[in-house]
Amino acid sequence: MDVLHLCADSAYGAIAAAGFAVLFNVGLRALPLCAASGAMALAIRDIALESGWRMEAASFTAALVVGLVLQLMPPRLPVSRNDLHVVGCIPMVPGGFATKAVLALFALTAENLTGIDGTLAVAIQNGLRITFTMCAIGVGLSIPALLSRQQVS
Amino acid sequence: MPTEVTVDKPLDATAELAMKFGRLSMEVGASAHYVEEIVGHVAFGLGADRMDLRVGYTSLIMTLGKGEEEVTRVVRVGPLGVNQRFRRELGVLAVRIRRGEFSIIESRQNLQDLLEASVRYPDWFVAISVGIACAAFGRLLDVDSKAVGPIFFSAAFAHMVRRQLALRNINLFISSILVGFCGSVLSGLGAQWVQSQTVARDMVATVLLLVPGVPAFNAELDILDGRPTLGSARTIYVFVTVLAMAIAVWLALGVLREGR
Repeated sequence: MDVLHLCADSAYGAIAAAGFAVLFNVGLRALPLCAASGAMALAIRDIALESGWRMEAASFTAALVVGLVLQLMPPRLPVSRNDLHVVGCIPMVPGGFATKAVLALFALTAENLTGIDGTLAVAIQNGLRITFTMCAIGVGLSIPALLSRQQVS
Repeated sequence: MPTEVTVDKPLDATAELAMKFGRLSMEVGASAHYVEEIVGHVAFGLGADRMDLRVGYTSLIMTLGKGEEEVTRVVRVGPLGVNQRFRRELGVLAVRIRRGEFSIIESRQNLQDLLEASVRYPDWFVAISVGIACAAFGRLLDVDSKAVGPIFFSAAFAHMVRRQLALRNINLFISSILVGFCGSVLSGLGAQWVQSQTVARDMVATVLLLVPGVPAFNAELDILDGRPTLGSARTIYVFVTVLAMAIAVWLALGVLREGR
């Protein structure tokens, strides 16, 4: 396992989560927790990917594990656990797939296009992967929240 | 801007206040379940004994009952945004009302105080944070290290543009296209100047500030929670926003003759 890559990704995940938390007006005291949540999500996803899991499964697992860990934390946090969970999962949004899908779609409209089959395949494949990954993150996010509600009721 | 209405009957006043809590929580990025919870806290805390609430994308409808008395109210919901700090404070106040700590007049006053005391980070701070977040996101997308500076500056600038457009009530989708276009052109020019090898990707990383992450997750949560209508409406909003981003990047790529 490439530990350096894992640490770098976790650090970028932490920074991205904290930055977006500011955009969402999360309180200043809660920003380190948001950063930790983002770092944990990215680390778990990277470890799963390194173990040969697919992006969808890795993202689902990371979102689920982070959610379950957050549900175990004391309720008196400066930010709600669900908010921490959402902010932590934001850096897992697979922008890379979206980029490739959009660029391939645009390439399809170019004049004198060669290799149309390959370009179309790239567009569809990446479009589907971002859709499935987003759904996986969403489900991973929802399960701990739904379970905690069940427990309360 | 909704005006304060003086009502004579306590149940009317309760319904009015509960709906105000519901509308505000929707507007600051709450899921339907959370809105229902907040409205319920206020309504039951102020004496209602039954409540039916329908949470829609642009409106809330509620019937509140106490004994033989019953009132139905509809309230329009404004543009949906995200403000987690205010949402949390709103939730705390609603729980205190549920515990019976406040009368209706005190509850109304407390909500007014909360609205007036609501704090946001200064624009410059948010812009810098967004710039840093997009640059970090860019690194996760494997942009090269030379591009970090251009992404940071152009995302921060794009956020300032977005803020100015929001203050002028420009349509959200037009605003997304304008912000995305400005940000990605600026980022592309910067990336070309520093001779980045990943110009197209740098341009995409810059517009990630527009990704509607919270609405996307709320959409899924609402659908999984048994509210497919609201979830679908949110999904369409997310889809159109992403489409606006894509159009912006596509235009910018065309202008800079990148991504061919």
